[in-house]
Amino acid sequence: MARRWPWRRAARLRDREAEMQSHLDLYRDELLARGVAADDAAREARLRFGNARAKLEEVADMQRLPMLDALWQDTRHACRSLRATPVFSLTAVLTLALAIGANTSVFSLADTLLLRPLPYPEPDRLAQLVYTQHGPDGDDESQSTDGAMWEAVRDRAPSLETAVAGLSGGANLFVNGTALYVSQQRVSEGYSRVLGVAPARGTWFGPDADRAGGPAVAVLSDGLWRRAFGGAGDIVGRSILLKGEPHQVVGVMPPGFIGTAAADVWTPLRPSPTGEGAGTNYQVIARVKPGVTWAQATGEVLAASAAGFRLFEPRAGMVRELKLQPLRDALAGGMREPVVLLGWAVGAVLLIACVNLAALMLARGGSRAREIATRMALGGGRGVVVRQLMVEAVVLALAGGVIGVLVAQLGVTGLQALGGDRFEEWRRAAIDLRVLLAAFGLTMLTSVAFGLAPALQATRMDIAWALTQGGTRTASGRSSTWTRRALVAVEVALGVVLLVSTGLLVRTFINVRALAPGFDPNGVVTATVSLQDARYRDAVSVNRLFDDTLQRLQATSGIESAAVSLQLPYERLLNNGMRFLDDPTASSRTTNAAYVTPGFFVTLRIPLTQGRAISEGDRVGAPLVAVVNETFARVYSKDRPALGRRIRLGGADREIVGVMGDIEQRPSFNIEGVSGAPVVSLPLVVIPAAQSSDGYFRSAHTWFSPAFIVRARDPGMAALAVRQAIAAVDPQLPVSSVRSMAEVMAAAMTLQRLLMALVGALAGAALFLAAIGVYGVIAHSVAERRREFGIRIALGSTAGAAVRAVTLSGIGLVAVGAAAGLALSIPATSLVRAFLWRVDAGDPITYAGVGVVLLVVAAAASLLPALKLLRLDPVETLKS
Amino acid sequence: MRRRKTSDRDLLAGTLDLLILRVLQAGRAHGLEIAQSIERRSDDVLLVEQGSLYPALHRLEDRGWIEAEWGASDANRKAKFYSLTPAGRRQLLAEETRFTQLARAIKRVLRST
Repeated sequence: MARRWPWRRAARLRDREAEMQSHLDLYRDELLARGVAADDAAREARLRFGNARAKLEEVADMQRLPMLDALWQDTRHACRSLRATPVFSLTAVLTLALAIGANTSVFSLADTLLLRPLPYPEPDRLAQLVYTQHGPDGDDESQSTDGAMWEAVRDRAPSLETAVAGLSGGANLFVNGTALYVSQQRVSEGYSRVLGVAPARGTWFGPDADRAGGPAVAVLSDGLWRRAFGGAGDIVGRSILLKGEPHQVVGVMPPGFIGTAAADVWTPLRPSPTGEGAGTNYQVIARVKPGVTWAQATGEVLAASAAGFRLFEPRAGMVRELKLQPLRDALAGGMREPVVLLGWAVGAVLLIACVNLAALMLARGGSRAREIATRMALGGGRGVVVRQLMVEAVVLALAGGVIGVLVAQLGVTGLQALGGDRFEEWRRAAIDLRVLLAAFGLTMLTSVAFGLAPALQATRMDIAWALTQGGTRTASGRSSTWTRRALVAVEVALGVVLLVSTGLLVRTFINVRALAPGFDPNGVVTATVSLQDARYRDAVSVNRLFDDTLQRLQATSGIESAAVSLQLPYERLLNNGMRFLDDPTASSRTTNAAYVTPGFFVTLRIPLTQGRAISEGDRVGAPLVAVVNETFARVYSKDRPALGRRIRLGGADREIVGVMGDIEQRPSFNIEGVSGAPVVSLPLVVIPAAQSSDGYFRSAHTWFSPAFIVRARDPGMAALAVRQAIAAVDPQLPVSSVRSMAEVMAAAMTLQRLLMALVGALAGAALFLAAIGVYGVIAHSVAERRREFGIRIALGSTAGAAVRAVTLSGIGLVAVGAAAGLALSIPATSLVRAFLWRVDAGDPITYAGVGVVLLVVAAAASLLPALKLLRLDPVETLKS
Repeated sequence: MRRRKTSDRDLLAGTLDLLILRVLQAGRAHGLEIAQSIERRSDDVLLVEQGSLYPALHRLEDRGWIEAEWGASDANRKAKFYSLTPAGRRQLLAEETRFTQLARAIKRVLRST
């Protein structure tokens, strides 16, 4: 049957001709062989064959498929007619491609993050423990739990299989004399059982390893096993040097396994209600056992609440409860709101695209009324005309769809490039076929529906009337014109909502960027190392590393100053409990805390407002000191000056000897008086590294990797110098990352930049589409009213007046849409409110700015087609 | 359509198909061979306008009774060869039976006076 496809007709015809020619040749040869003269032979052959051309036609007629043939003809006609109006076709196809592509890429991402099941068996039974509190001090909800909460759920909720996961952090791994910086997560023995994924080799560690004093064991990821050990078959049972200590490898996870946090190696967490577990440093994951309902499990967890909060001091009027949250929601975490926002923005663009398409198709239908009338007058059936228009709409939609897939692919790649560094889950995003089909289907439907509406209208029209009207009139009438204007106004309104959202996000970003960081980031380079290492178990060895490295750095020419800090500004800090010694009744408060070396203040140029900075003299044996920031003094020491007060922090009593300026950090907890923002200035206590205890270093280094901070005139040279200095002091200490302070700050604003870029791009697309819509309406009305303006000009009006009239009608159209859009923006911007900072959702500057942008675009989109009227020759127009 | 009649004048309608299938039962053949074979086997009673063969051949091919492929003739010339498909073989049997019945019926009519 393949031979009958219409588009193979030419090839088939050539084949037939070749066959007939070969027949003639064969026969002639035969006659020649019988001794017939050459001329006679050829003539005889032709004679006996008959009329060759006629035979070919007969064959061709026989092989037509009437339906398919008509469709093929329609398709070719559609392509020709679409090529004849390139501006229309290109606009429609690009509109479609943009809508399909943008939607598919953003929804695919949303799908990956929010909807797709977790890569574990029976993911619906997986949960994470959360605790909530309500009371006089406000409401709070947290996924971080402590050892007592875990034990309560483990012992009192028999419907659950539970495990504890800690944060992942950097660790050093030594293989064949090379040091690697790997990501390590400490988890409890039930981790693999709860997730339902068993190691591909060996086993997960058991309870004997997951208790205090148990053997040091490790489970490797498939990636690390291949990368560091070349996929050695005898890996299980081998001893590896992790964090400076020998660990026995007990298992290797299957390829593609992703835990609850990014990790290359898992080691026993050894959870307990004391030590690390006395604070909320754990995350408890759970699997609802088979045959038990979610409600049953939740009930058990709630009942275990009282036992779970035994480490918390009882407070009057405070209600604390344990709850279960689906693990998927817990892992999507802070990504839900941005993705929902993007989803709405993309939906709006899709809607605008469909509206634009509808307006385009209506206009085209209107301007083709004459053509359609002619065809029907010449005997073209109504069905034929409708089919023809439908084929055109489908061809457009298909072309848009194909380009849309490319745009979607680009979009997904682009999103991953933008967000993949910061958000591990984004890397899993791939184009979702269902989403693609849905977006494609929707635009196809719009295209066909609005392509067909004028066709049906046109076929009902009075042919004679349409034909006798001048070419400048359309037969579709006023109602269609009004429909188009309304559609364009809707487009503008939706575009305004997006523009306002973008404006607010841009203002936020500018505010964050313009924020005084509290230090001078220019010329500062940072290098992070993991000291979660057996060789740095005590304060003496840690401080020796710091002192020796800093000495080398300071001796390097070109280095102005250098220091070490537990964490960097614009990153998350360690939370510590703190209480004032002179106020025994006050409860413990949460503060950020970091150890630093004396050069910290000079290197980052952090001003001191009171007292003194940490100095070289603050060593072991000298009185213990601390420096707090202004927010600390303002929020925690309202009643009296902070300077001179004594605090207990990290098990040691210290005197506050100085107050420093605030520096911006990523927020790690919420307190009253400090607003939520991408970066904030939380209460901060810095203590001298030289006065930190073994235990403080050990627990801090479990979660955080300290950073060397270097100020130099030439950052490139500083980066090299810091690597060399560390390598000279400890050749076995890998440097995880060397970044400029500017990069560290930019990384803290990834989400803001991302949202601004994406919503901005979508708003740009919306504005562009709306401009096309306005242009289309005005161009159409110019074409429609040529005659009218011709008469007016002939009667003494000027071309300028005509241009003004048309342009004003365009601007009026946009004004109506813009007014509706601005009104709509007030409720709609509630979606972006969560991402705004120091900008009111009703920010007048943003609204005014959007108004001005729209006015300019509307004027341009209306003026361009209106200018054609200047070249209008009234005599010509009246004659025609 | 006039030309179609020309070919029908030489051969009873529908019989050309049957004859082609019958010739191809012996093995694959190109158009000229088929035409000559029909003439030879009918002792030159049935003269085929050679060109008329092709519409019939292509019709049979479309119906899936015969298949075609390009090859080399005895004199090493390029030619398109046709051969019977299994469906064609079944069709030939059916056509033969039908034609025999038809011929018998016509004969009976002619005899009775």
